[in-house]
Amino acid sequence: MSKSTTKLLASAAVALALGTVSATADIKIGVLVPDSGPAGLFGPSTRNSATLAAKKINASGGINGEQIELVFADVGVPPAEAAQAALRLWKGEGAQAFVGLHDSAVREALIGRFGGQVPYVYTPVYEGNSCADGLYITGETPSQQLAPVIPHLTETEGVSKWYLIGHDYNWPRDTNALAKTYIADAGGEVVGEEYVPFTVSEFDSSLQRIKESGADAVLITLVGGGSVGFNVSFAGFGLDEQAIRLGTLIEENTLAGIGADNANRLYSSSGYFSSIESEAAASFATDYAEAYGTDAPALNGLGQSAYEGLMLLAALANKAGSLDVAAMDAAAEGTTWSTPRGDNTLTGRHMAQTIYLADGSGGAFNIVASFEGVASSEACAN
Amino acid sequence: MSSVLFLNLAWQISTLALVALGLAIVFGKLRIMNMAHGEFVMIGAYAPVITSSMGLPGWLQVPVCLLTVALVAFALERTIIRHLYGRMFDSLLATWGIAILLREAVELIFGRGYQSVSPPISGTISVLGADYPAYRIAVIIGISIGFAALYWWNARSKVATRIKAMVGNPDLAEAVGINTARLSAGAFVFGCCTAGLAGLILAPTIRIEPMMGLDYLIRSFFALVVGGLGSLEGLGIGAGIIAGTQSVLGAVASQTYGYLAVLTLSILFLWLKPDGIRSSSR
Amino acid sequence: MASVLLPVSLLLAVLLLIPELFGDFIAYQIGLYLIYGIAAQGIGFLWGKTGVLPLGQALFFGIAAYIAAITLRAESGLVLDLILAAGVLVAMAVFAFTLAALIFRGRDESGPYFSLITLALVMIAEQIAGTATNLTGGFNGMSRFSSLGNLDPFGGFYYVIVAATVAVSLLLFILNRLPVNLIARAVADNEPRLQLMGFPTYAIKGAVFAFSAVIAALAGGLFASHQGIVTPTSTGFALSAEMVILAAVGGRFHVLGPLIGAVIVGWASAEFRDSFPYWELLMAVAFILVVLKAPGGIAELLETAYRRFRPVRTTGPQPAMAAPKSKSVVTNAPLKFNNVHLSIGVVRILNGVSFETPANGIISVIGPNGAGKTSALNTITGNLHLTSGRISLGDARIDSRSPHKALGSGIGRKLQVPSVFFSMSVSENLSIAMMANRAKLVDFFRPSTYQWRSKPLSSLLEHASVPLREELVQPVEHLPQGHRQFLEYAMTIAAEPPVLLLDEPCAGLSPDETALMTDLVRDYQAETGGLVIVIEHDMSIVEAISDKVLVLHLGRVLAFDTFDKVRSNPEVQAVYAGGTK
Repeated sequence: MSKSTTKLLASAAVALALGTVSATADIKIGVLVPDSGPAGLFGPSTRNSATLAAKKINASGGINGEQIELVFADVGVPPAEAAQAALRLWKGEGAQAFVGLHDSAVREALIGRFGGQVPYVYTPVYEGNSCADGLYITGETPSQQLAPVIPHLTETEGVSKWYLIGHDYNWPRDTNALAKTYIADAGGEVVGEEYVPFTVSEFDSSLQRIKESGADAVLITLVGGGSVGFNVSFAGFGLDEQAIRLGTLIEENTLAGIGADNANRLYSSSGYFSSIESEAAASFATDYAEAYGTDAPALNGLGQSAYEGLMLLAALANKAGSLDVAAMDAAAEGTTWSTPRGDNTLTGRHMAQTIYLADGSGGAFNIVASFEGVASSEACAN
Repeated sequence: MSSVLFLNLAWQISTLALVALGLAIVFGKLRIMNMAHGEFVMIGAYAPVITSSMGLPGWLQVPVCLLTVALVAFALERTIIRHLYGRMFDSLLATWGIAILLREAVELIFGRGYQSVSPPISGTISVLGADYPAYRIAVIIGISIGFAALYWWNARSKVATRIKAMVGNPDLAEAVGINTARLSAGAFVFGCCTAGLAGLILAPTIRIEPMMGLDYLIRSFFALVVGGLGSLEGLGIGAGIIAGTQSVLGAVASQTYGYLAVLTLSILFLWLKPDGIRSSSR
Repeated sequence: MASVLLPVSLLLAVLLLIPELFGDFIAYQIGLYLIYGIAAQGIGFLWGKTGVLPLGQALFFGIAAYIAAITLRAESGLVLDLILAAGVLVAMAVFAFTLAALIFRGRDESGPYFSLITLALVMIAEQIAGTATNLTGGFNGMSRFSSLGNLDPFGGFYYVIVAATVAVSLLLFILNRLPVNLIARAVADNEPRLQLMGFPTYAIKGAVFAFSAVIAALAGGLFASHQGIVTPTSTGFALSAEMVILAAVGGRFHVLGPLIGAVIVGWASAEFRDSFPYWELLMAVAFILVVLKAPGGIAELLETAYRRFRPVRTTGPQPAMAAPKSKSVVTNAPLKFNNVHLSIGVVRILNGVSFETPANGIISVIGPNGAGKTSALNTITGNLHLTSGRISLGDARIDSRSPHKALGSGIGRKLQVPSVFFSMSVSENLSIAMMANRAKLVDFFRPSTYQWRSKPLSSLLEHASVPLREELVQPVEHLPQGHRQFLEYAMTIAAEPPVLLLDEPCAGLSPDETALMTDLVRDYQAETGGLVIVIEHDMSIVEAISDKVLVLHLGRVLAFDTFDKVRSNPEVQAVYAGGTK
């Protein structure tokens, strides 16, 4: 108990300290984090990553010469309440730009309420197909996570029979629609596809079907707790001998929940892992550990994406010379910036980035391949 | 029916029956609509996390689980639940609050993240021509034995009758010398302990996190109303229908249809046979 | 009427001041809380009065929100939108009424089963909304449409919400003052009694449920317009639970309670969620405390405080008005049991009871405990359904129907333990009794219905020895047992039933009161020329009032004759082991 309480107090103290230090700042940026709800797990690492980004931005001259200050709101709630929280920052506290990590329903609500009047960077993994004035996206889309990875695994693991399983909502369905084309292109076949309601936590019948399908690879688009439950049972039934697993939203916390015993031949594809060995990534991890201690909330692709989002916002606003949406929209295409993920470019409002493939066997992600400058098949006009 | 489907059914039914057992006592006997039932399952599932973080040997998981759950349940019964006997909807609201309280408390202590627990028996064994996780086989057998023992005890013990008498007419029960306060506290704590035990048993096969309880609550309620409150056979039948529908439809159609079918079936039972399948027609 | 206009105009003034004082953005926020509050008002009305707790109210909220989203997307113009909205509300009412009436038919409880059904329904709706991506946009929802009449959600649309809030509140305040309010409250108070007074309670619960569903749907439509997005959470379990919590915390017994709850909880959680890490913990504790210590919620606390300064003024009795004629068909017909059998489970209660009463007079039913006396009355009123056999009144078969049909065919019943509406005053109890079997639908919505008096009731109240006249404003729960007997008797005869069933009307009465009661019964019979059936243990009373005596023993008719003949019947003497007791 004492450990986590201290941790909580410490992060509160950090937040307070930062609040007072930057009270004189010129630009307020709203950071929308999931503190509650199913993604609440990512709240702390998101806050921490965003705070590191703000420090970095301020240290290198801020946005157009002005210092920035972060204001946070919890958006791990239904869309109506999340939109309220964001509007409080915008109308109430005068935030001039937003970086958000939340589900797609909340994003759609925010697009409606922002009405293109305020720049808004959306950072988590998402299904694509979202364009609006002032909206910039750093999250990996299915094409980025799968286009290079499926052929790679086909070759290295010799797999060809894919089974697709995901939660019953937009992101898995859209991901799998694309996955099918990549699987076909790589000479493989899809031997099964199914979607599970969020409310179902037993995967026995799915596992039986996977077994009977003779699949040698399973593409997992289950999220959060469902992913943990599925993978635990998957290994419990010994299916890890039969098939490799590839997840596009299995990050460090999920892997910890799955446990080392159950992670044999479990691959994950993402723009970020805490075990990326590049210099930028290593120095980011060091900064993170220095700021928040060694038992800080684990770094992961979702939490870290807030860092990416803020860095994009700074790069883009500096390029456009203002935080005005029209100016930023005009300047957006081709903006480049470097982060722990590597060298990034904004094309069609989406972020072309390095994609990493990691093997979770043994309970920790081990990067087995990386693909530089992978652009999204998603593209918004201008 | 393939043997794996059969084993899956046995696993689903036995674990659901165990999870719902505590609710059968608390809701069926004490008439408390315990919305925090799933949270006791959750606390039970954290028992291995407690023992391993305190460096205790694995065999202490069971006593640690029961002790923790019993203490929490007893404290809640004395402070909150005891005011709610005979106030069913109020019990629903208050235990909803308790559920949030317990989730937040566990989050404060263990954090938001997922925990992982290794099964005491690993690997698969071949049963009826199918490879099936050895731990699950052990659990199915264990729960079956446990329920048989409970059935035997229930048929002989006077406790069930006393509880029934107490809920039916508390004043009269008190008058004939039943200590109603102690009996209801005991029944509540026992019910929560079985939920905790279910959590401990399920722990190596599921995700463990503070929000997991809700998964178990609704299914338990539906198993109870389908089977009929008040008898062990009813509980078994209810668990069989609910888990069976989900399993079989999940296997032949899709999990979404299975889930919708379970809900539809529950509505039909609640509407047409509100006393459950075990009740005499009336 | 001032008591309605004052709070409503106060509410209107406060809501209109908000944008002026705090600006458009705060008004936008309050707008959302008001929308939830409106839906919670519907829940409060249903739950606070009839005791039916809906756990799936977001079903109506969400479906209406989705339909609004689809409509607004089509951009077919304000007029068409409004027509469609009206259609949706009507459809929702029909759907909700049918659902609840079907489920409540044949059961006289409002317990957890209906609540769990609504819970399952909303879970189905949420799942379908999430899965049917083509229709609903799936998890990501339906968005990118403008609000009703293209109003600015941050500006003009707030006034639409205010209008809806005020209109719903006004409607609820008015309903609270109409007789229909008494009927709705009576369901929660004593449903079996209400059924014996001829009210189909399943339809009443269905109607109130439909009303709450329409309110939820109205709120859902406003929500779509206000938020510009509708997702499966709008028709989900969590929102349903949230609305119930708002009603509980705000106070379900008051019109404005749920609104107050919604604004306070909504504002506080927006304010503290981000700044106070233990916010949810605090909310949970506060919520438990409300349930345990203040079940009436914030509104009741406020009211208690307010009443300290301004106690309730009791208005004097209103002038009585002759009630319309009772709908009972005045048939002086014999009641006939034909080989009636009744078993519950394995217990056989009536084993072939056959007898035929004269068309009028006073019949006493006697027999040792367990003879089946009360069960026999229960089969007449339909509270118990026969296993076999037949009961008829004149030519009409009357067994195995719903209890609420008994009074319609002329059968009034007083129960063994005085069964009245305990949470109400004596005059409210009498008002309900006066509506029994007389009121047409429109009468429930006319204040003048409160003034109804029938002749039997007036003469009873004017009777010098009957205690009720002085106690009209008293809550029934403070009445002594004997007075409750007279009250229930008064309520039973108020409907002027030609067949009166009385189950031990003199139990718990003093000798004087007993004499009074027997006089009253005799007078009533003499005046109406009807049939009275009395279960009675006291042989002196039986002797005094009975034209005939029916002796039941072990579920069979032992004797049915005049008092003297029954007394000299050897079988009866054997049962009573020595004649009169």
